[in-house]
Amino acid sequence: MLVNANHLKLTLDGRSILQDVSVHIERGEIYGLLGPNGAGKSTTIAVLLGLYEPDAGEVRLFDQARGHPVELRGRIGVMPERAGFYEWMNASDYLAWYASFYGGLQQPVADLLHLVGLGDAGGRPIGQFSRGMQQRLALARALVDGPELLILDEPTNGLDPRGRREIHDLLLRLAAERNVGILLCTHLLDDVERLCSRIGIIDGGRTRLEASLQELAAVHSAGRRFRLRLERPPADPASLPAGVTLTNEGQGWWQCVIAPDNSRPLPILWEDLLVGHDWEIAEIHATGGGLEALYLQMTTGSESELKEEAVLARPPRLPAKSEGPCCRTSAGSVGCWRSAPCSRPSPCC
Amino acid sequence: MLSAFALLLISNQELSLLDNAQVVYMLAGTVTAAGAVIAVILGADAFAGERERGTLVPLLIAPISSSALVNGKALGLVSAWGLMYLLSLPYLWAVGAGGQNLVQAILYLALFGTPVVLGFGYLAMALSARSGSVLTSLLTSLIVLLFTASPLLLGPGLRNSTIGKALDAVNPFSGALNTYDAVIIDSDPFLAQLPRFALVLTWLAVTFLAARRSARRPRFR
Repeated sequence: MLVNANHLKLTLDGRSILQDVSVHIERGEIYGLLGPNGAGKSTTIAVLLGLYEPDAGEVRLFDQARGHPVELRGRIGVMPERAGFYEWMNASDYLAWYASFYGGLQQPVADLLHLVGLGDAGGRPIGQFSRGMQQRLALARALVDGPELLILDEPTNGLDPRGRREIHDLLLRLAAERNVGILLCTHLLDDVERLCSRIGIIDGGRTRLEASLQELAAVHSAGRRFRLRLERPPADPASLPAGVTLTNEGQGWWQCVIAPDNSRPLPILWEDLLVGHDWEIAEIHATGGGLEALYLQMTTGSESELKEEAVLARPPRLPAKSEGPCCRTSAGSVGCWRSAPCSRPSPCC
Repeated sequence: MLSAFALLLISNQELSLLDNAQVVYMLAGTVTAAGAVIAVILGADAFAGERERGTLVPLLIAPISSSALVNGKALGLVSAWGLMYLLSLPYLWAVGAGGQNLVQAILYLALFGTPVVLGFGYLAMALSARSGSVLTSLLTSLIVLLFTASPLLLGPGLRNSTIGKALDAVNPFSGALNTYDAVIIDSDPFLAQLPRFALVLTWLAVTFLAARRSARRPRFR
């Protein structure tokens, strides 16, 4: 295993940054590390690289205890969020200089530049590079010694769609042909869905989820899942709008699945249930449905999206008396809305 | 600065009356002080400056040991001090030619000035690795430099007091200046300077270790 980090804890300046983070990456695997700003992604990377010593937990890289971080860093290529070039140097000289830390270049600079799509820009000062070109150069720097593990922090920031696609293809090739393990830290879920075989979601310094995308896709392929809390049981649970299936019921919560081929907007569906089928819906929780929903479900710092989800899920016509606030999500739920004022404790409020 | 000072030493009515050896001593002290200021500026920029420009992280993620990083930065200090030293030679010759102990002045400037100057550079580097900005590390290092120079500003009366003597005994900067004084003006032998030589070497070793320790886990955000 390339990275085997378990239960990392780190406190900096009295603030607990990492509380329980675990990351596991195999050779040839592209691992997406997701999380909102300030979740601890970059700090996790810093711990993996030995820039911080964790207060607790274990880091093993290349199946070794991280005793000699300098030696291990020689096997890792890193593309930090901020490229940090000496802008007065030209790209070729910079790469040659940087490669000297690794004992020299493994391949000619021109080949390396060509690999990342900077074939004819080697002689130009880096200060003249666009953001996208600097990203490409940062990737070239990460590849300078043919690393076994690549750690990329927002690698496609500033790239146009074609550039993004080229970098995607390059990363897929590196993973497939050279068996390079890649830790991809990004906010772009499209990138993750296209590239990653496994993901880890961090929030509040804790790993909320580590799973393969294949497993997640299998779970969610059946459709979008919701939990509904009803004011009273439906008169006829069997009578449902097309594409809606009830899967479970318990303690006043009704679980339903919206079929993936259902093209009706959610608000129309809820209205249909509310008005057409006389379901008195008090709360709606989305509990799954794609990487974005899963991400929102697992992270707590994205209230705006949660509220948006709640608003989207809200039926267009509700009795005036039942207008209530959008509620904070409880663990494991994506969002909810209330049709009645909060008069008693609930998992939602 | 050296030109202006040398011109002042030669042309100023009062300063030109100074003994030739006195003038060389003053210039040697000035070169050491200027070298220390330059070293502090470079040292303060070594880590904090790289961090502020965003170029520190690529260095830290490369397979470079903290010692190598500090040595690389120290190479810049040595180069700057070397250049300063070379530039000062014609001035020392200009104000000291024909007088006594010019050669000793040049040798002792290298022997005592180098550890003192590099020590201040290392100290600034140590602070730079841990502080939040270039400004913080620069100001802190300059305050330390001024503090070490303060006994000299107090005048001979206070320097001869118990406190003054105690400060002189642990102050590398006054150690170097007292050596210049003893060797250039009083023509004392090297053996008499050994305690002060030990002092400046200790200063260099302590500050180097502090810089290396700080560079092990520098503040990089």
